[in-house]
Amino acid sequence: MAPKPGLQADEAALIRAAQAGDRAAFEQLVRAYDLSVLRLAMNLLRSPEDARDVYQEAFLRVFRKLDTFRFDCTFHTWLYRIVTNLCLDHLRKRKVRKEEPAIVASGEGTLDRMDLIPEARADGDPQRQLFSGQLRQRVKEVLSQLSPRERLVFEMRHYQGMRLRAIGESLGTTEEAAKNCLFRATQKMRIALGDFV
Amino acid sequence: MSANNGSLNCAETQTQLAMLLYGELSFDREEQVESHLDGCAACRESLERQRALHAALDAVQIEPSPSLLIECRGDLQARLMEEPDQPAKPHSGWWDQLVDLLTLRPPSVGSSVRWLRPAGALTLIAIGFFAARMTPLMTFRGGPFRAMGVGQSAASRVRTVEPEPDGRIQIVLDETRQRTVAGRMDDEPIRALLLSAARDPSDPGLRAVTVDILNSHAQSAEVRDTLVYALRHDQNAGVRLKAMQGLKPFAGQPEVRSALEQVLLTDSNPGLRTQAIDVLTSGPSEDLDRQMVGTLQELMDRESNAYVRQRSLTVLQAIKASAETY
Repeated sequence: MAPKPGLQADEAALIRAAQAGDRAAFEQLVRAYDLSVLRLAMNLLRSPEDARDVYQEAFLRVFRKLDTFRFDCTFHTWLYRIVTNLCLDHLRKRKVRKEEPAIVASGEGTLDRMDLIPEARADGDPQRQLFSGQLRQRVKEVLSQLSPRERLVFEMRHYQGMRLRAIGESLGTTEEAAKNCLFRATQKMRIALGDFV
Repeated sequence: MSANNGSLNCAETQTQLAMLLYGELSFDREEQVESHLDGCAACRESLERQRALHAALDAVQIEPSPSLLIECRGDLQARLMEEPDQPAKPHSGWWDQLVDLLTLRPPSVGSSVRWLRPAGALTLIAIGFFAARMTPLMTFRGGPFRAMGVGQSAASRVRTVEPEPDGRIQIVLDETRQRTVAGRMDDEPIRALLLSAARDPSDPGLRAVTVDILNSHAQSAEVRDTLVYALRHDQNAGVRLKAMQGLKPFAGQPEVRSALEQVLLTDSNPGLRTQAIDVLTSGPSEDLDRQMVGTLQELMDRESNAYVRQRSLTVLQAIKASAETY
């Protein structure tokens, strides 16, 4: 998750302005990171409603606690600590409830959320479409079998492209612990999805 | 292949393949893995399978829709409006400082005017004293009431009636009185009144005239915020349209652009949706970024009005973008 080009140089100034009460500066900070935050929450929680909750709560917390930000880590790391904690809370609550919000109501009955996701280009080839559908189903199953931490680390490394060091900082752990988590996640993925590749 | 001289065997190598693809191996470990791969066809095949697995996982990534992002931003903006300002505000203006003094609000961190708080309290007392002296006496005890002319009030309502022992009656009135103020946009009170009138929910005509005036001062961030608010929330399409006209020169700014995208995807008025397309795409076509294309593609998915669809399609065709999302 890289901020927009040119932002890095101005970011400290933006943060200071936002800390002094400049709401326009705060909005610029939000705009620099919010798509990445929403993408992480969406991919992790696989629910637009939950992703929306995380987005809302994360940036409200940032707004309320911004005066405590002391530049002793990057703003990105600080923001992601908040976001990942919220995502972990959501995932843990689901584990407790033993349910995945995989089903949504629609005008035509209930639909699986994964099926609502736009299909990756399958070039109109029926066999490829079938394969793609099966793969999506299997990915969904294996994702739900990962622990919340494994799932989070996998998401941040694979889809967000974050380095393990940054993931460790965001999760308040070491790079080595993040690496172990990713290792377990990829092993499970490989076992579960080996037939497809 | 088995391990010897610190090199890796097949099982050890295969556990490292995912980390190799993520670029997360140390220099030495990567050397060991690559050295093993150079001499082991089976592990090279495993690496290819791991690469295919990564590619397959890439294909199921979800990209949030532009409308979800816009809705999230709108929700957040609404929530932030309910939040008090950040406590640290070292450069607050004279008005804020005066309000702080008069309302005895705690001064901001680092403020140098703490000693003025007692002075603020005294000011309040003085204002109260002189205001009382200058306000016409509103009792029956003398002539001033008659001179004031209760019937001339724009609106008055009897709040309480109380007979007194000497036969008089004391009536308390609630009055709404008109007052005329005049000034230029640069005058703070005029500006504050206009910004407030633009959000007055009771009178769309008043809002339309006010937004018209504000449009010629949209270079001010404060005015622009009010126009963005009108564009997003005003119940009257005419007022929203006027606000959009005022914001047109600022369509490149993030908050304006976000409001225009919201109109494009969610406004109930097709005329406004069409205008939003024109404003958002009025720059050089090469400046239309991926997000804008995504927004237009999403519009093609959900738009029911044929003319709006056609406008959107024309723009997408002009930049050789697909009209569909996959």
